[in-house]
Amino acid sequence: MAAIRKSGGVVAFFWDGKIADPQDQKFVDALANRRFRTIENAASEEVSSGWVTALDPTGDSFGLEDLDGGTGTWLRFRTDKKTLPKKWLQIHRDAAEKARGKKLSARERREMKDDLTEKLLPRVLPTVQLIDALLFFDKKTVLLFATSKSAREVFGKLFFESFGVPLERANPLQCGLRAGLDEEAKYALERTEPVRWPKAERAGEIARSAPRQAVAATEQDTEGDA
Amino acid sequence: MKTDTGADTHGFLGEEFLTWLWFRWESDGGEFTLPGGRVVGVALDDFLSFSAASEDETEQTLRRGLPTRTAEARTALRQGNRLKKARLLVAEGSRQWSATLDAATLTLNGVKLPEDAEECESDVDRTTDRSANWLALHEIVQALYGSFLRERLRPDYKKAGAEKQARWMAG
Repeated sequence: MAAIRKSGGVVAFFWDGKIADPQDQKFVDALANRRFRTIENAASEEVSSGWVTALDPTGDSFGLEDLDGGTGTWLRFRTDKKTLPKKWLQIHRDAAEKARGKKLSARERREMKDDLTEKLLPRVLPTVQLIDALLFFDKKTVLLFATSKSAREVFGKLFFESFGVPLERANPLQCGLRAGLDEEAKYALERTEPVRWPKAERAGEIARSAPRQAVAATEQDTEGDA
Repeated sequence: MKTDTGADTHGFLGEEFLTWLWFRWESDGGEFTLPGGRVVGVALDDFLSFSAASEDETEQTLRRGLPTRTAEARTALRQGNRLKKARLLVAEGSRQWSATLDAATLTLNGVKLPEDAEECESDVDRTTDRSANWLALHEIVQALYGSFLRERLRPDYKKAGAEKQARWMAG
């Protein structure tokens, strides 16, 4: 097993509520219930996502020790995707149109695509994507090592299906609400508006001659701010 | 690809936070004492991207060298623009991270962790070390953001922190 990555993009998520303790067999069982299932020989399925471990990318085995990520719990999910090559579709379409001597209608093109998908998809090998995450149980935080929307969505769905609690993506509002602010500050946070800093024509000149007026300019611009 | 502007999630606060980090770096040297006595250093590195003040205005990106020292960066500040993304250097003790912070979503891109500790002899050791470093970076950014918010959300913010920052931006 290789070590966990040391570079790349990361998105933080939080959860509220209780999930199984990663030291407990229930946690492993929750992952195993939503394990990866291959579509290598499937005739119709185009996408499959599910949990695997860093030790076993097939999703066939899960052990507590396989999730050891040092201070965190090492999660990994796999997404396989089968896509019918567009070139194949184009070749068959061109051949059909040439044989007929005129272009296919939209309905005929759709039917041809469905027919080809049914015939060729079982022969297409899926692309494989493995994405890691580190879960910090005590902090109710999980770091996902992928930033794309599709990866975030698949991860959120798998997590919910496995543990029954939704993930909340980190953002300035969520991080603020979890920053240990007092109630007054939290109230102000939810209602605060952007500061509109003074523009150069006023602020630059004002600041050089009488700094305090620069703030007066700021206050004019931030009228209504919390 | 559509970008997440964070309109519903106070994305502007992330941009104000990033601009505040720059202000604190230039005015106070970029050393922060975080809750629990943790001392970290923060500096802006070789990538800055400014958000447009409105949809009609042009976004500006500065790369390589020392973009914070350029006339373009100073002009953007004078125009009241906030930072949208920036490459940060974060240091704590002998450990140093670099990462590009996307302010509106607080996503970290292009993160580089500190070098693996010398004691690491196996992949298990390296995973343990890196895992701790990922968590540390996350916690440092969260704690810095918390420090910013405590200042930003004070009732007297405009007369305290905003006054200094306005002078710095206009200077």
